[in-house]
Amino acid sequence: MMELNETIHQPVRLRIMAVLMTLDAGDEVDFTYLRDLLQVSDGNLGAHLRKLEEAGYIAVNKTFVERKPRTYIAATDAGRKVFKEHVAALEAILKSK
Amino acid sequence: MNISPKEAEEALASIHNVTQKTRHSIAAGGASISLIATGIVWLIGFTATQFLTAPLVVWIWIVTSIVGSVFAIFMGLRTGKRVRITSSAMMGKRIAIFWVLLALFAAAAIAVAHPTDGKQITTLIILFAMIGQMGMGLLLSFSATWWTVPVAAVALIGYFFAPGWFYLWMGLLGGGVMIALGLYIRFRW
Repeated sequence: MMELNETIHQPVRLRIMAVLMTLDAGDEVDFTYLRDLLQVSDGNLGAHLRKLEEAGYIAVNKTFVERKPRTYIAATDAGRKVFKEHVAALEAILKSK
Repeated sequence: MNISPKEAEEALASIHNVTQKTRHSIAAGGASISLIATGIVWLIGFTATQFLTAPLVVWIWIVTSIVGSVFAIFMGLRTGKRVRITSSAMMGKRIAIFWVLLALFAAAAIAVAHPTDGKQITTLIILFAMIGQMGMGLLLSFSATWWTVPVAAVALIGYFFAPGWFYLWMGLLGGGVMIALGLYIRFRW
């Protein structure tokens, strides 16, 4: 049976991963886009991104676009795998109801 | 880690909501801007065609098309900075090739059909453009496809049932439908 993942299950982190999983592998979203979409504060989003990055589930790419700093976030292969397993575990719990 | 079925259901619903929101947000960014820009160009260009005559009408079309395209490209680039698609360069090349080929096919079809007036040429160009938009929509995002059907329907109704006011019809209804759809996608979707 698939295991639930405690790092991913936290509501904000679950939604962050859901956004990143909607994109194709390797595609990235801007920090501000993610913040606006999820309607969270800069600090809150930053803290949850750090947790996901430390776990190896996302890659954070800090770069400059037209001389302005930008932070792009993408799900890693490990993150995509763990998220799929987490969703499968959630579905299994529902089916066993 | 153990959770109740209710918690699992809530988590899955949350994932579903965010996934939908993300898809709409990405599709809405490009589609709404290009729809509004094209709608404004049609509104001005076709209304001018109905009431004004040749060199002035040609200049109005050229100026509005250039301004509309520059605006749509500028806004598209702004949206593109928020979501970076790794395959976008290759995809962009294929999209450009597709539109060039479609334009050639449209020109060939118009040459073969040899339409006798501007209304026929306009309707054929609109139908080819809608076919192209539909093809792009189906390839890139199904949600960007449906709006081509009401626009094509407006063109055909105008062509067959309001030939005397065809250009005004296309300006107000064709352009109006595009602007309304663009605003709907942007603010209500």
